[in-house]
Amino acid sequence: MAIVIDKSQRWRVFAAHLFLIVLCALVIFPLLMVISISLRPGNFATGKLIPETISLEHWRFALGIPSMGPDGQMIKPDLPVLLWLWNSVKVATISATVALFLSTTAAYAFARMKFAGKKAALLGLMLMQMFPTVLALIAIHAIFSRIGHVFPLFGVDSHWALVLAYSGGIALHIWTIKGFYETIPGEIEEAATVDGATPWQAFWRVLLPMSLPILMVIFLLAFIGAIIEYPQASVLLRSQDKLTMAAGMKQFLYAQKYLWGDFAAAAILSGLPISIVFILAQRWMISGLTSGANKG
Amino acid sequence: MANLQFKALRKSFGDVEILHGIDLEIQDGEFVVFVGPSGCGKSTLLRCIAGLEEISEGELFIGGQQVNEVPPSKRGIAMVFQSYALYPHMTVAENMAFGLKLAGHSKTEIAAAVQRAAQILQIESLLDRRPKALSGGQRQRVAIGRAIVRKPGVFLFDEPLSNLDAGLRVQMRVELARLHADLRTTMIYVTHDQVEAMTLANRIVVINQGRIEQVGAPLELYHRPANRFVAGFMGSPKMNFLPCTLVSATERLATVRLKDGTPVTVSADARGLGDGAALTLGIRPEHLLAGSEAGEGRARTAVRVAEHLGDTVFLYVESPGSPESLTVKALPENRLGMGDPAHLSFPPEHGYLFGPDDRTLPRTS
Repeated sequence: MAIVIDKSQRWRVFAAHLFLIVLCALVIFPLLMVISISLRPGNFATGKLIPETISLEHWRFALGIPSMGPDGQMIKPDLPVLLWLWNSVKVATISATVALFLSTTAAYAFARMKFAGKKAALLGLMLMQMFPTVLALIAIHAIFSRIGHVFPLFGVDSHWALVLAYSGGIALHIWTIKGFYETIPGEIEEAATVDGATPWQAFWRVLLPMSLPILMVIFLLAFIGAIIEYPQASVLLRSQDKLTMAAGMKQFLYAQKYLWGDFAAAAILSGLPISIVFILAQRWMISGLTSGANKG
Repeated sequence: MANLQFKALRKSFGDVEILHGIDLEIQDGEFVVFVGPSGCGKSTLLRCIAGLEEISEGELFIGGQQVNEVPPSKRGIAMVFQSYALYPHMTVAENMAFGLKLAGHSKTEIAAAVQRAAQILQIESLLDRRPKALSGGQRQRVAIGRAIVRKPGVFLFDEPLSNLDAGLRVQMRVELARLHADLRTTMIYVTHDQVEAMTLANRIVVINQGRIEQVGAPLELYHRPANRFVAGFMGSPKMNFLPCTLVSATERLATVRLKDGTPVTVSADARGLGDGAALTLGIRPEHLLAGSEAGEGRARTAVRVAEHLGDTVFLYVESPGSPESLTVKALPENRLGMGDPAHLSFPPEHGYLFGPDDRTLPRTS
């Protein structure tokens, strides 16, 4: 469908392209910088974008491959970067799954059921998520250290504590999914009810399959949120082998010594799981899943 | 197979009462059409039967069993929704099988039932498709197929044809009539289209503002409407209404005077009313005559618009003594055109008189 364009429009199209190209360059530049820093010998934040000599020392460090020290001995990297990455992936996967389960069911109740206090609860959710979690950091620490006395599994310095803390931050997800549910005509679930489905069956076998795209989006958001989260992880996790990537990477930056090169290599590593999950999820983010239900 | 019985059924949403006491009996195997203007409560009544809305007061019996508290799936009903409401992520076969699958029927049983329904509706070639890949008419068939598969005692249709184009609507209407003849199952059908009501129903229930106005066979409603609302609702184009006053009344004939003074006689018994009572004269467009010659008992007006459709001519003429328009369905030979003077005559045997309370006065022809 090509609309006929006036000749005077052409310079506008050119200007628009120029603007977009500059914008893309601005967005991509920091990423290129990080890649460049990770491949540069030494730990320098500044320098040329294309390094003169390429060194894999930072990548060896990040991947935990022993390297030759100045005295000729093999030195094993002192920080378990890959373990942190694994911790991050583990916590993010579990907490995103739990968050998804809680928010889809809660959103269903808010979108389809009638109950007392619904408006107040929705508003409460909205208000609560307006305050950054950092404000409650001390409380979170106190709560989990207390929980740890009774259930050590969920105490401070446990991944489960972090999962529990992350799974609580679903107010926005509930609102998002609720909005999506409301675009699906209720008649489809009514048809299922007449067909003999219980409310749970109507939800599980009819509504959820139609909501796949939004569920994938929410999973992705929750996953990314957990991977990049720093404040709670830094407060709830202590021992070095428990740290997540975001919390652990702080250790590259001492007051006396900034390991920019190692930091950059680890940063790129931490982006990998997000990219992989995104590519996997994209398969399910198909639009138009509900088309065909109605008159058309 | 099931009959239905409504006893003083009421439904309200909060403080707003939608249905004000519905009393009705529907026999086993009947095709009953609920018809009325939008917002009259006919769909709400259907949803009460389906169990998708709770009944506020009164009782509903299906097959002799009181079902007020029975969930939809246990009522022995199947429903076809206005929007079809197909499951978009399932194939046509899965859509039709869904209910049986939930009920725990065996795979061979389900496959046989789906196959049989597909045969009846001639959609066997579509069984593997998703609803997305179907046309509106095909989706409609699938929705009906999903209902047939469950072998319900009562079929409920909520304006099933209103989303189809005109040609397809006529075709599906004929098929629904055939389906009812084949299955002989009780069917309840909601529509605002009186043509669908007239063509499909064994009995029509006319509903207005949450009350039943009249129940009867299609032609009975056409010929003997109980009141002005039913008279205006049944028949297309709708009946003309003219304000008039009673002049004299005998056993067989009543004479009224139109606003412009024209005397008109009607075969109706208006003896209970005093002379000078304000009445409404009703006459259908197909019975109102318009000609170019003046005469006794003819009202002189002018033609506003003439529509020539080939087999008929619709004349929209000024109502004598009032600013409204009257519709005349005339033969194609009628030569009256826009702006021409027209003389209207009212055959007594086709006139209706409505009393001050809008009830139809007894007719004598």
